[in-house]
Amino acid sequence: MKSLRTYIQIHKTTKRHATRFSIVVVVLLFGLFMEAYMHDFNLVYILLFFVFSLAFSAGPIGLLNLGNLEAVFKPSGRFFAQQESMISLSVQNTSQSHSWSIYIYHNRLQVAFMPTVKAHNTHLVQLPYTAQKRGDFVYDTCYLESKYPLSTVRFTREITDKYHGIAYPQPKGLSLFAYIQQHNANWGEEKEFDGLRVYDGSQRLSHIHWASVAKGELSVKHFSKEAHTQNLHFNFETLEGNPETRLSQLCLWVLECEKHHLPFSVAFSHKVLHSNKEGIDEILIWLAHY
Amino acid sequence: MRYLSGLHTIRPSALRLLDMAYLVVLLPLLIMLKIPMLLFVLLVFVLLIFQKSPAKSLHLVLLFLFGMIAIYLSLYGAFSFKGLSRLKLFIELLIYVLLVVVALQRVTQRINFYLLISPILLLALSLFFYHSMFMLLYVILEIFFLLWMILAHRMQSDLRESFRSSMLMFMYSLPWVVVLFIFFPRISFEHATYGFKGETQKRMGHDGIMYLDTKAQLVPSERIVMEIGFDTHLPPSNTLYFRGSILYLDKNDHWEPLPQTTQRKKPAPIKTQDEALGYKVTLYPTQKRWLYMLDMPASPIANAMLDADLITTVKEAVKEPLHYSARSFVQSSYFEMPDTMTLGAATSFSRDQNPKSYRAAQRIKEDFTDPKERLSAILTLLKSQQLTYTLKPDLLDINHSTDSFIFDKKQGYCVHFASSFVTLARMVDIPARVVTGYKADLANSLNLYLSIKERDAHAWAEVYLDGHWVRVETTSTAANIDAQTQTALAKQNKNKLLNTLNLYLLYAKYQTETWILHYSNLRQLQLLDYAKSNPRFVIIFISSLLMMVLITAAIIAYISRPRFSSEQLAVLQPLLAYLQKKGHLRQNTETLHQYLLRYNDEHQKQSEHNRLLLQVGAVYEKLTYANNKEDTDIKHLKALVRRFISLEND
Repeated sequence: MKSLRTYIQIHKTTKRHATRFSIVVVVLLFGLFMEAYMHDFNLVYILLFFVFSLAFSAGPIGLLNLGNLEAVFKPSGRFFAQQESMISLSVQNTSQSHSWSIYIYHNRLQVAFMPTVKAHNTHLVQLPYTAQKRGDFVYDTCYLESKYPLSTVRFTREITDKYHGIAYPQPKGLSLFAYIQQHNANWGEEKEFDGLRVYDGSQRLSHIHWASVAKGELSVKHFSKEAHTQNLHFNFETLEGNPETRLSQLCLWVLECEKHHLPFSVAFSHKVLHSNKEGIDEILIWLAHY
Repeated sequence: MRYLSGLHTIRPSALRLLDMAYLVVLLPLLIMLKIPMLLFVLLVFVLLIFQKSPAKSLHLVLLFLFGMIAIYLSLYGAFSFKGLSRLKLFIELLIYVLLVVVALQRVTQRINFYLLISPILLLALSLFFYHSMFMLLYVILEIFFLLWMILAHRMQSDLRESFRSSMLMFMYSLPWVVVLFIFFPRISFEHATYGFKGETQKRMGHDGIMYLDTKAQLVPSERIVMEIGFDTHLPPSNTLYFRGSILYLDKNDHWEPLPQTTQRKKPAPIKTQDEALGYKVTLYPTQKRWLYMLDMPASPIANAMLDADLITTVKEAVKEPLHYSARSFVQSSYFEMPDTMTLGAATSFSRDQNPKSYRAAQRIKEDFTDPKERLSAILTLLKSQQLTYTLKPDLLDINHSTDSFIFDKKQGYCVHFASSFVTLARMVDIPARVVTGYKADLANSLNLYLSIKERDAHAWAEVYLDGHWVRVETTSTAANIDAQTQTALAKQNKNKLLNTLNLYLLYAKYQTETWILHYSNLRQLQLLDYAKSNPRFVIIFISSLLMMVLITAAIIAYISRPRFSSEQLAVLQPLLAYLQKKGHLRQNTETLHQYLLRYNDEHQKQSEHNRLLLQVGAVYEKLTYANNKEDTDIKHLKALVRRFISLEND
């Protein structure tokens, strides 16, 4: 009874659509019927009944193939406007048999394919997504689709779960390194030599320690004043360009600062955000919602 | 299933799958293809093997031209627009065109819709040409194979997985096919007469003319002439005479029937108290017009003519297996008031042709007045001559065949006995005639099934006594069987086991053909009638269907059972099933160790639980990876799993 209830539930939640192969089956059944009936060919009758029975049994088999799958979105990485990112979808097979040939569609576009989801197993799929603009977004209208077993019926099952995400401004503009070079004063003066550090791309070229380069290591000279006098302050209002360009620029710097573990502050007309206080994600959310 | 392990690693591309499907459906068609088309198909095969890249436009044009020429040459002479009304020719043309189109598409190495659906079309079209038991088996195989290929394409998995899935689907549909086949309403159209179903080879056995000279050399052949299924019971052995033709005219070296131009009276229905016995006959191509009925025919066969001598014929020679239902009264005589023409023919003889026989007959005539006593005296005379039954007799003096047989050579087989007897009977004024046909052997029967072979061809006589034509088994007057014939007959019965096996095979074939290949509305009605009057049959029938469903369910359960790559994984299965039941699902990237650890983390239980679970993981890993594993480890793992589950349930 439990199985029957499950089946009815699956039947209700899984949609069936005829494919062009179902038309082939109908035409074939009609042709075979005519051939068998007019000439009393029992072999044709047998073929006719096999085609009919296989097409008939394809319904429940296909239904169970898709119906036993449960899909939920999992926390995913950061999303940026105009940049492709991945949304994690966990597809869980709760039945004792494998599910085959599963496609995932979003807005009627195929976004992923799973040849099989093993019995009692969970499959994590990465769905590509490109947010068109910054701000909150909802990733929905997703569904699972399968033409298993005979391609005569297209089974679709809506993924009821929705992914609520936030797309940060597209990070682009002047790199942090270039910005630092332009605003050298903010960094204070160099004083005492404080040893060598690994070059990570953000340091000045004049600081490269050529002796180590000759040995095969790319190191830069580090001066004690740098660390203490570092003062990165980004001002939204003083940046060039339209607000979107400025937000993109800020987003890029915030990410670069995060990468190089540099504290910074971002000033807006009514608010100043400090990386030490708010945290990177909060600042990015602020940028996304600005 | 382990035999399929080789398929585990094979993942053919969509084109390869299609190729395999085409190979399977083309195989029966290759037999019927004309030589030019065969050459075309061969060319395409060669191209596919050696041409690795997609065919260019020039190749396609050349292939198309070659295909058109092959079609033209294949149908040369047979083709005309009028000829299209002949379905066989039309279907043949359709197959040729389809083959050319498929070949052109295939060499481009691009799969399109038509390439995908053509295998099933070719399968359906091939059924116009074949209708045999072998084809039945092959069609089932084709259906399964095509299903397998479709699933392999859809699943994009290895061939073993797709084989299992196709087996499952096949088993799901099998009971439906059986039920539909039995109960789907049929109509009684005749089988189409076109196709290559018929045999062109002429069969030996009964002939309308009975030769006494060298043409009568008998070759005992085991080939089946007809198969019979009796409705209710098998008649006794001494009644299994199947009438072929009645011969009246003695032409020295052979006997003939009355000319067709002879005006005969219409046959009168046999009047008897007995109930007629029904039976169904499958007559294989004889290239002759006779249909055979058990003595004595009760009613004419549909679409056949029953003449005054109770001989059944059809308008055209039987060139393909023919199925007919018949009814006969199982008796050795029937009442008739023959016309003078018939009586005249049945009493005519030449006094000078067989003078010795005539003198002997005259003595009988003088000694006995009662026809029955005269008949008895003839049989006694024949017996007294110590005649020898032999399959290879010395040639008779054909101008005096009866004298030569009875008094000189004294050896022959049924035709010589029947011929001599009829001559003698006529000489003592008893109207007599030769009957040729088949005398069935009960050794070739099983339940209600009886097969008749060429070697069962026989000749006997009928005499007219007291207003009845009475059958006389003339060969029974033989006193001996010669050594050669004995050896030949013994040879046939030498390997009893083989004969029995052969009989069972024939029986199975006959039942398959009767209930599957030639299943019709008549059979449906027969089933229905039988079911109405026989509740036991209904119970057996329903039980059989249920049994079939159970068997398929068992096969499905076997195929879909969980599979494990190792013994330790199978032992672990109850534990994994338990954890899954509790909602603790394993991630696809998670190792077993991580999975068990995660369970311990998420389900903070007593240390005993955790310890057991870790032990399970350790023993499993030892069994999987360590070199020093012991036989007791499996038992240990089993005990740990059992203990953990019982502890959890407590």
